[in-house]
Amino acid sequence: MPIPLLLLSDLAAWLLFGVALAYAFTASRREHLRAPWRRVRQQPVAMVAAVILLAHVGITLLDSLHFAPQAANGTEAEPEPLSVLDFVLTPLRTGVETSYSAPFALLGFDRESVLQADGRVVREYPRLRYGGAHLRDPAQRGADILQRGALGAAAGALAGLLLLRLLWPAQCRPWRRRNDDPAGRAAALTLLVLCVLAGLGGALATRYHVFGTDKVGMDVLYQSIKSVRTGLLIGTLTTLVTLPFALVLGVAAGYYRGLVDDLVQYLYTTLASIPGVLLVAASALLLDGLMTRHEDAFSSLIVRADLRLLALCVILGITSWTGLCRLLRAEALKLRESDFVRAAEALGVRGPRILWRHLLPNVMHIVIIATVLDFSGLVLAEAALTYINIGVDPGMESWGNMINAARMELARQPAVWWSLSAAMLWMFVLVLAANLFADAVREAFDPRTREATPSARPAGT
Amino acid sequence: MMGYFVRRLLYAIPILLGVNVLTFALFFLVNTPDDMARMQLGERRLTPAAIEQWKVDHGYHRPVFWNAAQTGVTQLTDTLFFDSSTRLFRFDFGKSDAGRDINADIAERMGPSLVIAVPVLLVGLACALTWSLAIAWLAGTRLDFWSGVLCVAMMSISGLFYIIGGQWLLAKLWHLAPISGYADGLASLRFILLPVVVSVLASLGGSVRWYRALFLEELGKDYVRMARAKGLSDARVMFGHVFRNALIPILTGVVVLIPSLFLGALITEAFFAIPGLGSYTIEALQAQDFAVVRAMVFLGSLLYVAGLMLTDLSYLIADPRVRLE
Amino acid sequence: MSDRLLQIDQLSVHIGDQPVIENLSLKLKRGETLVLAGESGSGKSLTALSIARLLPAAAQVRAGQITLGDTALFPLTEREMTKVRGARIGYIFQEPQLALNPVMTVGDQIGEVLACHLKLRGKARQQRVIGALAAVGIPDPERRAGEYPHQFSGGMKQRVMIAIALAGEPELLIADEPTTALDVTVQAQVLALLKAEQQRRGMGMLFITHDLGVAWQVADHLAVMQAGRVVENAPRDRFYAAPEHPYSRTLFAALPKLEPQAHTAPVVHDQPLLEVRNLAIHFPIRRGLLKRTVASVKAVNGVSFTLQAGETLAVVGESGSGKTTMGRGILRLLDLTDGQVLHRGDDLRQLSSEALRIRRRELQMIFQDPFAAMNPRMLVNEILQEGMLAQGIGGSAAQRDARVRELLVQVGLKAEHALRYPHEFSGGQRQRLCIARALAVEPRMVVCDEPTSALDVSVQAQILELLEELQQRLGIAYLFITHNLGVVARIAHRVAVMHQGVIVEQGPVNDVLFAPRHPYTQALLAAVPRIEA
Repeated sequence: MPIPLLLLSDLAAWLLFGVALAYAFTASRREHLRAPWRRVRQQPVAMVAAVILLAHVGITLLDSLHFAPQAANGTEAEPEPLSVLDFVLTPLRTGVETSYSAPFALLGFDRESVLQADGRVVREYPRLRYGGAHLRDPAQRGADILQRGALGAAAGALAGLLLLRLLWPAQCRPWRRRNDDPAGRAAALTLLVLCVLAGLGGALATRYHVFGTDKVGMDVLYQSIKSVRTGLLIGTLTTLVTLPFALVLGVAAGYYRGLVDDLVQYLYTTLASIPGVLLVAASALLLDGLMTRHEDAFSSLIVRADLRLLALCVILGITSWTGLCRLLRAEALKLRESDFVRAAEALGVRGPRILWRHLLPNVMHIVIIATVLDFSGLVLAEAALTYINIGVDPGMESWGNMINAARMELARQPAVWWSLSAAMLWMFVLVLAANLFADAVREAFDPRTREATPSARPAGT
Repeated sequence: MMGYFVRRLLYAIPILLGVNVLTFALFFLVNTPDDMARMQLGERRLTPAAIEQWKVDHGYHRPVFWNAAQTGVTQLTDTLFFDSSTRLFRFDFGKSDAGRDINADIAERMGPSLVIAVPVLLVGLACALTWSLAIAWLAGTRLDFWSGVLCVAMMSISGLFYIIGGQWLLAKLWHLAPISGYADGLASLRFILLPVVVSVLASLGGSVRWYRALFLEELGKDYVRMARAKGLSDARVMFGHVFRNALIPILTGVVVLIPSLFLGALITEAFFAIPGLGSYTIEALQAQDFAVVRAMVFLGSLLYVAGLMLTDLSYLIADPRVRLE
Repeated sequence: MSDRLLQIDQLSVHIGDQPVIENLSLKLKRGETLVLAGESGSGKSLTALSIARLLPAAAQVRAGQITLGDTALFPLTEREMTKVRGARIGYIFQEPQLALNPVMTVGDQIGEVLACHLKLRGKARQQRVIGALAAVGIPDPERRAGEYPHQFSGGMKQRVMIAIALAGEPELLIADEPTTALDVTVQAQVLALLKAEQQRRGMGMLFITHDLGVAWQVADHLAVMQAGRVVENAPRDRFYAAPEHPYSRTLFAALPKLEPQAHTAPVVHDQPLLEVRNLAIHFPIRRGLLKRTVASVKAVNGVSFTLQAGETLAVVGESGSGKTTMGRGILRLLDLTDGQVLHRGDDLRQLSSEALRIRRRELQMIFQDPFAAMNPRMLVNEILQEGMLAQGIGGSAAQRDARVRELLVQVGLKAEHALRYPHEFSGGQRQRLCIARALAVEPRMVVCDEPTSALDVSVQAQILELLEELQQRLGIAYLFITHNLGVVARIAHRVAVMHQGVIVEQGPVNDVLFAPRHPYTQALLAAVPRIEA
C-alpha cells in the first residue's frame, strides 16, 4: 500500500486552492464582486487563457498529491516519494535512455561502442532502449507515428466532447458558428484542443520521446510537465507571502498615518532600496549553507528541494511586497478622506472595523490586479534566478534548470535544441496565457478603464 | 527647496543604516565568521590558528552588534557592525574577503557596466517612445490591436530566451558579433552590440504598453478636447500637449533608474562575460565574499536613494505644478 | 450675408444603439444668445460638441446637418474643420481646472490660437496675448502671461479660457456651463464679461446651463432640452412669462426662489442643543528642515453660534469660506484648534474618545456627493445597519432588518431596496439612503453639507421637502451648509453668513436675506442671478 505523504508545498498548494475556491464562493454571492468577473467571462481571449491556466492548475494539483511507494523487494534504499502525476506519467518517468536523443528519435544522439553479435565492437548510434523500441523496422516510424497520433487525437477529441457534454451541455458543439456566447465557445474550443493535444501526447509519448531526452536520458516532455508545478507554485505562493505584509502594513499606514505611517514607510523604503536580486541571492546562498550544514535533517532529496522552493517563495515574497504596499498605502490615504469613511466615523464605527469593512474591500481590486500581474513576472523570474544558481534546487524539475542544463549544448554540432525549446515554449504559453488573463482582469477591475478608450482622432461624423 | 533636499539626504542615513543591519543580520544569522574563514582558506590550510588569523586579518574577530567585553559606548562602537558601517559611510570599502581592494575593483568595473547600461537605457527609451507614440496615434485601429498582441507576446518571452536566441542567431548563425566577451576602448563596440540589442528587445514590449497607456490616459483629458476646440491639428495636439504631459511620468520613471545604471545588469553581464559590476556581484555571491556583497548592497541602496531624489528633482523641472516642501 | 449664424437640422446622435439626441433642430442669429437649458443627461453638451465635431469616440452622428454661416460642417474634411474650430467657433468648457493644459503657460495657450489661425509671430503675438488677457479683466497681464494655470484662481482660469476662446475672433461662441464651477459672486462677473464681449463683437453665443436664473441673465432665446429632444423653444421674455411645456413648468416650480417665506420658529429652550463658542480650526503649514510650523491656514477662525432643538440654521458662504471645515469640526471629524463645542452642555473636546463615540449617535452628517458617501461594496441593508451595530442599538438581527425596512419607507424608498447596492440607485435616491443612514441612529442633530448641490433642480426640491418633513415629524435640528441662497430661503429658520473663516452676519432668515447689513452679505445677494419677469 502506498502511504500518502504531505510535503509542505503540497499543503501550500492545496491551501491556496482552497482559498481560491472560498473566494469564488464568496464572489458568486456578492454582486459587486461578481460583476467584474462577469466582464472577464465575456472576453474570448480571457477565457482561452483561463482554460489554459486551469489546465496548468490541474497538473499542479495532481503533482501535489505525494505518496511514498513501497520499496521494491530486495532494494535497500528508500524510494523517493512520488506524486499522482508521476504515477500517471510512469511510462515517461521510467523510460530513461542513456543520454541525449532527438524528438521521436530511434537512435541515440552520440555514438557508443556496441558489442555486435559476432563479438566485434563497433562505434555506432545505438537503438534507444524505449524510444520507438516496439518498431522492428525503423522505416515504419513515420506510418506508426501517424497512425498512433491519429488514434490518440481521435480518442482525445472524443473524451473532450464527452467532458463538454457532461459538464457544459450549453457548449457541447462549440464548432458551430452561431453562438450567442462567443467567450464560452472560445473556452470550449480551447478545452477540446487541449484534450486532443493530451490524447496525441498520451498516444505518442508512451512509445516515443516526443520532446527527446536530456543528458542523462530523461524524457524532456516529462520534465516539462513536472516543471509546471514549480513555476505555478512560485508564481502564486510568493504572492501569498506578499499579501499579508502589503495589505496590513499598507492599509494601516494609510489609515492611521502618523507614527505607523512613518514606520511602514521607513520599512519599505529600506527594503526597496536593496537591489532585489542581491537580497534574493544573499538569502538563497545563506539557505544553501544552512542546508548543507544540516544535511541529515532531510529525509530525502525531494523534501530538501521542496523546502528550498518554499524558502525561495518566502524570500521573493519578502523582497517584493514593497511595491504593492506603497500602492495600497496611497489608496488607503485616499479612501480615508472619502465621505463614506467619514460617515462611518460619524456613526461611531471603531477604527479596526472601518479598516475591515470599508478600506479592505475597496482596495481588493488592486490586490487582485497585482496578484494576476505579478504571476507571469514571477514565473519568468524563476528561470532567471535558477540560471544564476539562486533559484530552485538543482535537483528539482523546473524550466530554469532545464534551460540552464541545455544552454551549453547549443554549441554542439548538431545542436541539442529540444530541451531548451521545450522549456521556452511551455513557459511562453503559460506566461502568455497569464498575461492575457491579467489584461482582462485589470480591464475589468480597474475603475479607470471602465470608460471607453479615448481616441487620438475625433470621431467620424 | 534646499531644505527639502537636505532633509532627504538626512533621511537616507537611517535607511542605509537599516540596510546594513539587515545585511549583517542575514549573513551572521547563519554564516559564522568561522564558516567564512573555512570557505576562504580552503581545505588544505585549515587549522584553528589559521582560522583565527584570517578572522583577525579581516576584522571578523570582534562581536557583530554588541561587545560585552567593553564598557560604555564602546560596547556599541567596538564591534564589527559599527566599524564596517562607519567605513561604508566614508566609502572606504576595504579589502574583500579574498584579499582584493574593493574600491579599486569597483572603479575598474564600473566602466564596462556603464558602457552597456547607458546605451540600453537610451536606445530602449527612444524605441519605446517612437513605437508607443505611433501606436497611441493609431489607437483603436487594427494596427494598434496587432501591436498590442506583439507587445504581450514580447513580454511573455523569458529574458533568457532573448539572450540565448540572440547569441545563437546573431553570433553563431549570422556572425554579426562575438558571442560574449569584452575589450576596452573602441574595440568594445563589437562586444556591446549584442547585449544592447538583446536587453532593449527584452524590455521593449512592457515599456511600449505602459507608455501607450500613459498617452491614452492623457488623450482622454479635458485639455486635449480644449486643444482640439482651438483648431489645432492632430500633430500639434499630440506633440504640443499630449506628449509633454505624458513625458512627465515617463521621464521620472526613467530618472529613478539612472543612478543604478552603475551597478550594471546582473544576468546580462554574466551571460555576455562582461567584466562589469553586475558580474562582479555575482562572482562575489558565488564565492560568498561577504565584504564585497556588503559593499555592493550599500552602494545599491545609496544609488536607489539618490534615484528617488533625482526623481523629485526631475518632477520639479518637468512639472510646473510641483513644489517641494 | 444672412443674419442666420447657426442652423442645426434634424440632428440625431447615438451612443452605441442608444439615441442621446433625437431629431434636434435649432437656429441662432448673429449677435444673439441662445440658451440651451436642461438637467444633466439631457444632451445639451453633446449637442454643442457635435457642432464643433468634438464628440467622444463612442458617440456617432446618425442623421442631420449643421450649418455655420454658409458652411455645412459635416461634409468638411478633418483638416478643413481645424480651420473652423478656434477661428470661427470659440469654445468654453465647464471645468477651467481640467480644460487648461497644466504644463503650458497661459500666454502660450492663448498664443497657440493666434499662431494657428491668425499666423501671428513673435512680438506681435505677445502683444495680442497680453491684450487678450487684459480684455478679460486679468490684472498685470504681462507678468501673468508667463504663469501656469495652477497659479490662477478658478474665476481667473475661466477668464483665461474665455480669452482663448475669443482669441481667434470667432463668429460663434459656445459656452458649456461656463459658470457652474464658480462661486456666485465670480459667476456674476464672468456672466457680465461674456455678455459684454458678445455684444461688443456681435458674436452669436450658444450658452448651455442647467440654471434658469443664469439663463435669464444672458438669453435672447431659450431652448429647453429633455432626454435628447428640445421640448420648448421660445424668446426669453415669452418663456419666463409663461412656460408652455409641462417639463419647463416643473423646472420652474422646482427652482428655489429667493423670496421671504413664513417659517414657524422653533421653541427656544434655556439650554440650546448645540452651542459653539469661538471655534477655530487651523491647518499648519510646515516648512524648512525640521518641518516647523511657520504659518497656518485659518480655515475657521473664531466662530460662535447656537442651534436649538428642531431648528434649521443655514451656514452660507462661498467655496473656501470654511463652512465645510466647520461642519466637520463640530462633529469632531477633525481636530479643533481652539474654542468649545457644547452639546447638551458637554464640551465635545473634553469627552473621552469612547464617550464621544457614543455621543456620535446624536450627531449625524449628510454629505454633498451621494455617490461618494456610501461604500460601493456594501448592501443598503448593511449600510443602514452599520450605525446601529456600532452603537449597539436596534435589538436583534430581525429587529434591525425590520428597522431598515421602516427607514427606507420613511425616506420614500421601498422596503425591498434593502438588498441592493448603492450603484443601483439614482442620485436623488442615494441621497435618500444617506438620510436614512443618519436617521438609523435616531440623531437629534444632522449636519447637512450641501446635500442638494450635486442634484438636478427637480430632485433638489424633493430632498428639501423630505428634510423638512422629517424635521417636523422627528424634531431634528439641521446645521445646513450651502452656497445656494434660494435653498436657504426655503428651508432655514436662521442664517449665518461665513466669509474667510468667520461669521460676518447671522440672524433670522428673513432679516439676513432681505435686509442684509454686512457689505459681504449684500454683495453675495446682489450676485444671485434673479429672474425679474
